[in-house]
Amino acid sequence: MQALPLIDAALTGPLRRSPGRNALLVVAIALGVALGFAIYLINRSAADEVSLAARSLYGLADLAIESTAGLDENLYPRVAAVPGVAVASPVVEVEGKLADRRSSLTLLGVDAFRSRQLQSSLAALAGTMSSGLDAFDPQAVFLSASAARELKRDTGDTLEIQVGEQTELLRVAGVLPQAGLEDRAGVMDIAAAQWKFGRLGKLSRINVRLASGAPAERVRAAIAALLPPDARVTTPGEASNEALRLSRAYRSNLTALALVALFTGGFFVYSTQSLATLRRRREFAVMHALGVTRGQQLALVLAGSAIIGTFGAVLGVMLGLAAARIGLGAIGGDLGAGYFRGLAAQFEVRGWEIAAFCVLGVAVAVIGALRPAIEAARVPTAAALKAGDVTSGELRTHGRIVTVVLLLAALVLLLPPIAGLPLPGFIAIAMLMIGAVIAMPSVVRMVLRHAPFARAIPYQVAIAQIAGTARYATLSVSAILVSFSLMVSMAIMVTSFRTSLDQWTQRILPADVYVRLGYVDQSAHLDAGTAQRLGALPGVAHFETGRFARAQLALNSQPVTLIARSANHMPIASALWLIETAQSQSRGDAVAAWVSEAAADLYGIRAGATFVLFLQGQPLDAFAAGIWRDYEHQNGAVVIDSADYARVTGDTAVNTVSLWLQPGIDPHTLENAIRDLLPATQYDLRTPPDLRRLSLQAFDRTFAITYLLELVAVLIGLFGIAAGISAQVLARRSEFGVLRHLGFTRAQIAAMLAIEGAVLGAVGVLVGLLTGGLVGLILIYVVNRQSFHWSMDLAAPGWLLAALSAILIGAAAGIAVISGRQAMSADVVKAVKEDW
Amino acid sequence: MLAVERVNKSFAGARSRVVLNDVSLQLAAGEYIAVMGESGAGKSTLLNLIAGLDVPDSGRIAVAGQDLAALDDAGRTRLRRARMGFIFQAFHLLPHLSVARNVGLPLALNGAASTEIAARVEEMLAAVGMLDRQHDSPNQLSGGEMQRVAIARALAHRPSLVLADEPTGNLDADSAAEVLALLRTQLARDHAAGILVTHSDVAAATAQRVFRLTQRGLHERPAA
Repeated sequence: MQALPLIDAALTGPLRRSPGRNALLVVAIALGVALGFAIYLINRSAADEVSLAARSLYGLADLAIESTAGLDENLYPRVAAVPGVAVASPVVEVEGKLADRRSSLTLLGVDAFRSRQLQSSLAALAGTMSSGLDAFDPQAVFLSASAARELKRDTGDTLEIQVGEQTELLRVAGVLPQAGLEDRAGVMDIAAAQWKFGRLGKLSRINVRLASGAPAERVRAAIAALLPPDARVTTPGEASNEALRLSRAYRSNLTALALVALFTGGFFVYSTQSLATLRRRREFAVMHALGVTRGQQLALVLAGSAIIGTFGAVLGVMLGLAAARIGLGAIGGDLGAGYFRGLAAQFEVRGWEIAAFCVLGVAVAVIGALRPAIEAARVPTAAALKAGDVTSGELRTHGRIVTVVLLLAALVLLLPPIAGLPLPGFIAIAMLMIGAVIAMPSVVRMVLRHAPFARAIPYQVAIAQIAGTARYATLSVSAILVSFSLMVSMAIMVTSFRTSLDQWTQRILPADVYVRLGYVDQSAHLDAGTAQRLGALPGVAHFETGRFARAQLALNSQPVTLIARSANHMPIASALWLIETAQSQSRGDAVAAWVSEAAADLYGIRAGATFVLFLQGQPLDAFAAGIWRDYEHQNGAVVIDSADYARVTGDTAVNTVSLWLQPGIDPHTLENAIRDLLPATQYDLRTPPDLRRLSLQAFDRTFAITYLLELVAVLIGLFGIAAGISAQVLARRSEFGVLRHLGFTRAQIAAMLAIEGAVLGAVGVLVGLLTGGLVGLILIYVVNRQSFHWSMDLAAPGWLLAALSAILIGAAAGIAVISGRQAMSADVVKAVKEDW
Repeated sequence: MLAVERVNKSFAGARSRVVLNDVSLQLAAGEYIAVMGESGAGKSTLLNLIAGLDVPDSGRIAVAGQDLAALDDAGRTRLRRARMGFIFQAFHLLPHLSVARNVGLPLALNGAASTEIAARVEEMLAAVGMLDRQHDSPNQLSGGEMQRVAIARALAHRPSLVLADEPTGNLDADSAAEVLALLRTQLARDHAAGILVTHSDVAAATAQRVFRLTQRGLHERPAA
């Protein structure tokens, strides 16, 4: 009970005394926690769903045997006979191109009797067999619940799948329960799938369930001994990890960006608590004089912040839950990036996740208050109790600390990615921002030294005020500095990326018209003869073809996209954006290949290097004739001549035909001729402007969510200025009273506050531009490169940054006037009597 | 110079009370008076009303022939800026302006040229004995020194009326005597009227006339 008056005087009293500022702190922490939690939950829900969907393809299997080139079906009985194997279930997996849309549907050809031992939901399939019905019907397909939902199909409906140039009509024989097959897929008889999709004698995968008590590693080794070099034994867990791998960098980057709002909130707490310490200087001195120990003062200030953090975290978690639920439903699990199209992620939250984000919110509030709390505990009692005591506003510059922090940041940048994520880049960015905040006093000193002279009295007093309290004035700016830096860096990165992407689409699309049918692994394609006829249409000057397939750059590695291009008229190198070219364009018998940046990074291939390319399991000696910029294939891509591809694989099918038109021919006039040539085929016909527009739309959709995150961070930064100015106004009440006595009009006081806000905002903007520029370079040259293996040319959006700077300075001035309105009230004249 | 006629002022709220009751006062140019009264008697309220920082409930106040009721806030501010000077108990020098800039501030606010400001600041600081400290910051000064600078600031722009609210309340006896003497000298030199609000009989004794403010109004104390 004895502690109650102390707690009231030092903890709850101050919390009650500044309800507005404390409410802002709670909101800032809440926004930071809410964004981080919402993005995390959406990412995690989507990842769970992807993982579950990938896992569900394997049912109860313990192992799976896979090959990019496909497995010989004769392998199946040999695997089934391996001791320790309880069930072996062969699968043919095909991406069936949907005739009525651009996407495809994963079609699983299974042996109904075998597969039901691994996937009980497929018992429905087997059940129909006893009556000799659907499961053996080559037209029958059972849709997963998510596929049925998205394709709006039910039992008895038909489904058109394009195979080559033809359309196969399948009949929906049933819809599987949700839990049975989570993926967006259809299941059909394995023989029918092999027959319809040209996979006779081939399997995509063999799912294996081990006998109870069988030694897994020994069985795995026994199976591996049976396999050809291009096949591998994997586990369903590895497969689901692989399904998430491509989106992992995007999800991590987005979560990091979301947490910047919380980081900004931490700086907001720091600046607000520092200013409160300044304001309560005498209060601390009195308490110490009355017997409150330094340790108690430290604990009480930290406890105050912890209370604010708790309120903020709880509110943030509630907001985050609501935002995640809405976001998941409205934008989807990938937040518009297109990674998980068609995925219906289920919203689910776990208790430990709520607890973790609550702890994070409280921790940010307490860490933000640590330094001010230490300063509060160190207030010199005797000096602070003296009448007329003015807190030293002297600038304390920390040149050495800044230098060390920046050097450490530079060193961290040299580290490689950790677990495939650009963590060193993020750490360097955080260090850079902390360094910028520490460097602020020096910058303020420099700015004030060069501040232009003006006769206006409010300007002179405002500049003198900032100079006199620069140490504290800079605190108000720290939060806006962090958030504006983020905004600048993202603007530079996004503009650089968008500009490079735009240039890229223009360089890789030199033809006038593109006809496309199918993509990697999809069942649809054009025959070589059809491609020739397209090239011979009236008005067409010349043409090139392209074929998409999978290849490997090392056995047992993840496949890359193989693009086999013809070079009838245009050399392959001319149609790519080469960033590195081999000195010699031939290397003995090795086939010339152009390797994308991602593939070059992932497999350590340099221009001129030789390497082995595995096409359908067949090794092909290749040399890297060039490294090209590619924004499409995150897994990596390799371009070779279609003649080389056909020679090795025998595959002459075509996915794209690029048409160059004779002068004066309108691309749209070709449409009818192409339709006449392909009357029963659904194909894409696009011109370069169409494709450019589509790619930029997809880009803008992907980055839309980042604008929201930046906006919230800047909002929290503006809170910092509002809280800083209002705290200063409270501390300077008597000063404003004196100014009113001396003849300052309310308008002059408002002008003075506006100038103070604008100068502080301008300093924040100045340092923010510099810091943001550096962070932008790290994002472009380190984080993006390590996350996606994409390089881009630097492009700074000058006008946008100028406009943002002007808006922010204007907002800072406006907020200073609004939050300092007390300075213009009649009450301040009484403040001259409120001294000691 | 100053006419206060039958001024009443009360404060509303949960603990509403009458602060000034039928207060009248006439002050001629160059006249220096002291106003005494108990805490809460309304001395500072009276100064605020005269300064145009607050408005009376009834009655009339005129400074240099200008009725304050006829002016809006900006007008009263301009009048205050040009014709009045202030000295406070807690000195209230602006902490981030140097001594010289504090003294020059009222001149700058009144649009004086920089050469005129420099000359007058030098003159005033010399008069209060603080010329050698003109570049110092206020927090480098003692209480007595701060109040001397405050006197220089209050008189720098040659006001007609100086309002001093407990100017010696934070000073020791020697410093207080020094400051009061200085104030009286400077007022006489500029022929400015002055109102000294104080609790101290010693301080009040330096004025030409002494008034006592009570609930019943403002009454001149007969000369001893």
